[in-house]
Formats: sequence, C-alpha cells, structure tokens
Amino acid sequence: MTFTGLIGRICLYPLELIIRASVALRIHPNTLTFIGVLINFAAAWALARGRFVIAGVIMVIANIFDYIDGKVAHELNAVSDFGGFWDSVIDRFSDLSLFIGLIFLYSSLQRTEYVMITALAMMFAIMTSYTRARAESLIKKCKVGFMERPERIVLFMIGAFTNRMAAVMWVILVLSVFTVADRIIYTYRELRETRQAVA
Amino acid sequence: MSSPTPLPLRVLWNAFFWTYERATWQYDLMVIAILAFVWLTPPDWLGDPTASGSGPIGWLIEQLR
Repeated sequence: MTFTGLIGRICLYPLELIIRASVALRIHPNTLTFIGVLINFAAAWALARGRFVIAGVIMVIANIFDYIDGKVAHELNAVSDFGGFWDSVIDRFSDLSLFIGLIFLYSSLQRTEYVMITALAMMFAIMTSYTRARAESLIKKCKVGFMERPERIVLFMIGAFTNRMAAVMWVILVLSVFTVADRIIYTYRELRETRQAVA
Repeated sequence: MSSPTPLPLRVLWNAFFWTYERATWQYDLMVIAILAFVWLTPPDWLGDPTASGSGPIGWLIEQLR
C-alpha cells in the first residue's frame, strides 16, 4: 500500500461513522452539501482575518460534509442528476470563497503581488473544473492533470495549519496551469483521434 | 527510425502531462515533492505575507556556515 493510500484508509474510518449517523437521521444529501458550503464561508472569513488555524479546523469540518454527501445519497438511494449538479455548483462556491478570503487578507496587508498570485490561482482552479466539464461534453472522460479539487483542499488545510499559505498558493497556481493545459492537450488529441477514425 | 526519448525528458513530460491515479507511487512522489517545497522553502524567499523566517533550509545553511 502507498503512503497516501494508507492516510486515506485511516481517515475513512471516522468518516464511515459520520455517514452511518447521517443515514440513520435520514438527512438529505443536498442539505449536507448546502451545510458544507456555509461552513466553508466561515473558513473563508477566518482566512480573511488571518486566523489560519481556525480556518484549517473549519475547513476540515466543511469538507467532511462535502465528502459524505455523495456517500449518504448512495446509502439513502437518493442519487439524482440534480444532486450531482447541485454538488458541482456548490463546490465552485466553496472553492471561490476560500480564495476570496485570502485575497481579502492579502489586500488588507497591502501585498498586491500575492493578491495577483491568489487571483490567478483562483482563475486556474475554476478553469480546471470548467475544462473537464466542457471536455466531457465532447469526449467520454477527461481526468488528467494533478491539481484537482481534493488536492487543492488538502493543500489549503496544510497551508492553514502550518502557516505556509504563500507556498501553497504558488503550488496551486503552477500545478493548476499544468492541469488546465493537460486537459486542453488531452481533449485535442482525443477529438483528433475520433476525427481520424471517422475519416 | 526515430530515436527513443531520453529518460529525464520522459520523466519531465510525465510529471507535466499527469495521467497517474491517486495512491500510486508516482502520486506519492509528487506529494513528497510538493510538501518539501511548501515546508522547506524559507518564507522569506517567497516574500510570504503571513510567515517569516528562513525555515528549515535557512536553518541548515546557518548551521553549515
């Protein structure tokens, strides 16, 4: 087993308990998704105030909701197209709110260069999601590139808990640019292959 | 006949054009590289607005002087 695989397994145990509790209480998965985004707004506020450790703790709680909604939907047989759509939309609000919190912090510290770095990281984080969603309307699957949402969230938490948010913003920016490029290249290749197969 | 791509170039291309799944050794390696950058790079080098100091690398350089 790999190192990251082991960490995943360790984290899964308490999550299973929370999922079981949510199923027993029959909480609708869309409600869990919505609670998650509200908690993420609180994390964004903590980031904006420069309270990184509190922001980190709130992010952990918010992402528990984010993780379990799909599992609870499965357990309750409440999986729906709208649920998937709602989850994706709410995820974008969660993503954006964290970046906006940091932009507020850096602008209040009058650090224009980090306002720009964070804004660019935010742009490419959103484009990472958009390129995949758009690509998958043309091709079957477009799951290439390293910096997806789970990686971004974990990096935000690491940055918050260890006060290394600047380094984290650089990593998110550079790897998100690569991810967007990967998805464009991959989609181009797939579409070219389909075109050649037809011709 | 075209010559095969040199190994370092192939490694660089595979790191850029990422197609590996999570929980693979390539993923672990990437995670280690990211964590090393985040934790070892001195905040002063990046002009970190919220952290200061020279970090573990700076400390090591100090010790070596």
